[in-house]
Amino acid sequence: MRLQLNAARACRGDWSLKAEGTFGEGVHLVSGDVGSGKSTLALMMAGLLSLSNGTIARNGISSSMISLQFPEYHVTGSTVAEECMSWGLDPGPILSELNLMDKQDRAPLTLSRGELKRLHLACMLVKKYDLLLLDEPFSSLDAREKERICKLISQRTSGITVLFTHEQTTFPSVDYLWEIQQGKLIERGEMPGALHHWTHAPVLIKKLIASGKCLKNISPSDLIEAVCMT
Amino acid sequence: MIELSRLSYRMIMIDSLTIPPGITSVIGPNGSGKTTLLRLCSGIAVPEAGVIYIDGKTPRETDVGWVNEFPDKNILFSRVSDEIASSLRFSHQPCGEIDVAVNTIAQLMNITYLLDRTIKELSGGEKVLVALASALVEHPKILVLDEYDSHLDETRCLQIEELIRTSGVPYVIRCTQQMETAARGDYLLVMENGRITVSGNPIEVFASLDQTSFYPLSWRCNV
Repeated sequence: MRLQLNAARACRGDWSLKAEGTFGEGVHLVSGDVGSGKSTLALMMAGLLSLSNGTIARNGISSSMISLQFPEYHVTGSTVAEECMSWGLDPGPILSELNLMDKQDRAPLTLSRGELKRLHLACMLVKKYDLLLLDEPFSSLDAREKERICKLISQRTSGITVLFTHEQTTFPSVDYLWEIQQGKLIERGEMPGALHHWTHAPVLIKKLIASGKCLKNISPSDLIEAVCMT
Repeated sequence: MIELSRLSYRMIMIDSLTIPPGITSVIGPNGSGKTTLLRLCSGIAVPEAGVIYIDGKTPRETDVGWVNEFPDKNILFSRVSDEIASSLRFSHQPCGEIDVAVNTIAQLMNITYLLDRTIKELSGGEKVLVALASALVEHPKILVLDEYDSHLDETRCLQIEELIRTSGVPYVIRCTQQMETAARGDYLLVMENGRITVSGNPIEVFASLDQTSFYPLSWRCNV
């Protein structure tokens, strides 16, 4: 199973993003500055944005889903329970897991932003999509919920998962690292070797590497282990 | 000082709380009432009972800058420069002064390149930067920021914090889910079920959260 970007290019006015590379099975992390084109790349990979050049080929991918940066864009139901049903799911188990049972008759947009994000990620992660594109999945989530989502991502035993995020501390274990710089997708490669070339690394990770700590990966437990062991 | 006394509104119940000048962060689980507290402090919502005073005045008698957690809800106009100028235009300030103020804040925030864009052409993070510029352009007495950092990279967050500190806004209240951001503030409030469970400086407050996921990872790693 793989997603192949062949000189794929998207343009908006005089701005453009060029992407080349192959996304295989596993967890990929894409980082880049505000406005660098992370969401644009996510939309390109989801097939929701027409390319001005190049192609994106899907091999062996039979289902795909994108979690948009803003959870409010996903709302289609008029109540929280209907929102779950719109994903073809029974609201009971999902809402009790999220502690939202008492809010099931409320309009989705009256939830807090974090609750809304939790709701749509929970519905999406129950399904087993081959290609899962997550644009800023951790924004608005509280610390415990970030950890829970990381665990669910790590439990995906097959498929391609791509995270586009500014998150600073709570990551799942990642297999592959990419960055967007000056309108171009750059392949940094496999973990942990890629860490040394990661220009958008969070300050904490940069400091740990600079002080000679040996990081196996970037999940909180990997960072704590690196501090304790080296 | 910001003083809250016998405050109740929907799920919020705060008997007594004093917030000193500086940057105050509000943390807590999703749905704990952070946004509701911020809405009360900004005067968007009015308490059902009790009072909030900011240096002796109610929030509605105070100049407030507000950034919503839903970036699209901040925006009224379709062009970035019109959006940033809006609060100054609504208060009938002279056109020349407005132009200068808009250009100054855009330069300070490194977003001059966005001024001629339309809102539709902005990324999520850029929308937040425009909302922040619109809130700061009027030099508010209190700046209320609801999760402004959830769509910004760390470098941008640090630049903005520096700008807020040098801009001389006396009170900043922000809620955040980045504990590293909360650790950098002057004062910290922890909320759960509409109540403040702990308040104080970040060192004291995080000491009480040592065993939870809310403890800053950089502190756990001694960095």
